[in-house]
Amino acid sequence: MSSPAATSLSEAAAAARSITMPDSLRKLIRLMLGLAIAAVIWEGAVLLFGIRPYYLPRLSTILMAMAATPRAYIDGFLRTLAETLIGFASGGAFGVLMGIVFFRVRALREMIFPIFVVSQTIPVIAFGALVVLWFGNTLLAKAIIAFYLTFFPVTVNTLLGLETVDPKQVALMRSFGASNRQLLLRLQLPTALPQIFVALRLAASLSLVGAIVGEWFGDTTGLGVLLLQAMFTENVVAIWGALLAAALLGTGFYAVVAAVERRLVFWSAEQ
Amino acid sequence: MQAARLPHPGPATEAPQAQPRPEPLLELRAINKTFGAVAALSGLQASIAPGEFVTVVGPSGCGKSTLFNIVAGLEEPDAGGILRFEGKSCHAADLLGRVSFMPQRDLLFPWRNVVDNAILALEVEGMPRDQARAKALKMLPEFGLAGFEKQYPNQLSGGMRQRVALMRTFLFERNLMLLDEPFGALDALTRAMMQRWLLDVWQKYRRTILFITHDVDEAIFLGDRVLVMTARPGSVKLEQAVDLPRPRRPDIVTSSEFVRLKRTLLDAIEEESMKSFQSSIAQEKPQ
Repeated sequence: MSSPAATSLSEAAAAARSITMPDSLRKLIRLMLGLAIAAVIWEGAVLLFGIRPYYLPRLSTILMAMAATPRAYIDGFLRTLAETLIGFASGGAFGVLMGIVFFRVRALREMIFPIFVVSQTIPVIAFGALVVLWFGNTLLAKAIIAFYLTFFPVTVNTLLGLETVDPKQVALMRSFGASNRQLLLRLQLPTALPQIFVALRLAASLSLVGAIVGEWFGDTTGLGVLLLQAMFTENVVAIWGALLAAALLGTGFYAVVAAVERRLVFWSAEQ
Repeated sequence: MQAARLPHPGPATEAPQAQPRPEPLLELRAINKTFGAVAALSGLQASIAPGEFVTVVGPSGCGKSTLFNIVAGLEEPDAGGILRFEGKSCHAADLLGRVSFMPQRDLLFPWRNVVDNAILALEVEGMPRDQARAKALKMLPEFGLAGFEKQYPNQLSGGMRQRVALMRTFLFERNLMLLDEPFGALDALTRAMMQRWLLDVWQKYRRTILFITHDVDEAIFLGDRVLVMTARPGSVKLEQAVDLPRPRRPDIVTSSEFVRLKRTLLDAIEEESMKSFQSSIAQEKPQ
């Protein structure tokens, strides 16, 4: 079955693909170029204006210091990554689940949602002290702090997204005889997905904050630990090193979440 | 409605009307519906024979949509009304999943491509996706959508989106199809094309259709019978049989018979429109 319309369409699709491939490559090259320019300006400004290393060390000095002790940075990176991911995944899953529960059961929403709000007004530092008391200096404790920062925005946005479902579409599904489960999986969750991803992008950054703050309550590995140690010894280069590593982790994680969003929520970007 | 729950011996033993016509597929008698203080429908009566194409016209706000929601099973009429489907008394809720319903807007899901939108109802019924897709793919050319199966709704024109929605309705194979102003949002040319196309498809599949419209020409051109509704509270003001020969050609709209029918219907609608206009001027005076 190769009607002329079908072939011309698949040709068009192929042509579109061959155009977008170098397009994304070009974007990547531009990004690299931008980073390189920023690095050159950093390095140049420090040399040109004679900025004291106490305020801003040269980028090359920082990178060389990192390269001198790669193990500490790699271990710290992986450890913080693990805490962030566990906190993000559990916070995201719990948030979506609670969003659905609050959407479905009004009574529960009125009972529990205010408690959620109150929980979020407790400063994360105070909450972190409690968690460390309960769970000690474990990876789990850090993941729980990351979870604490992430589940709330995901809950709120899931609920918001579910409430934007068009009642006419619900009526259509019901006229087909759809069950509540079919309604949720085929209509309500897909409708809420763009809104859920708004929260997940936010949660990607917040979970990293939670992990690093958690490490400040005491641990031996992690980017937060590196940062704290450098601060105590006033090792400016090491502070900048930990900062760059955290930036790399945060940006990378955010980019992955955004890429997954573009794949899954392809329709809302096109409209 | 105790009687509604009693089992009936079968359609053959029941002859509610002494008419030569076959037993109606859908029958509505003394249907009322009020929303708070507003009476949307009052004493509505209608019946639709199997295979019939019935169109409904009326002034805006006459309760057409309420009528539709009742027949689609989405809304329950007030107690006391009689609703019969396929020869049995039933509640409106029993009609959920038994009538294929197409609302005014196409309501396509933007995350589903043409085929997956079309098979939505089949999926809800539990048919495996592959089987449903194969079925839909066979129907695509007839709906003018061949080659577009992988496109997403935002890549389609208004007419095509509407055809996808119609295909979704057709694939949900039920004896009664409810179409609520399906072509209302289309431009005049596309609309005329879609009307002719709908008649072709209807003649092939012979489903019973209840079709709501604002457009008198459309109501006459498509229907075997036109029901004119009164101003709110809605009921059937006039039942006009359309004896124009089928298949109907586009130029039928200029025939004297067509014009005569149109005049009768327009007069009836005009009268009701004036009523609803005046009552809206009188600041929602209680009816």
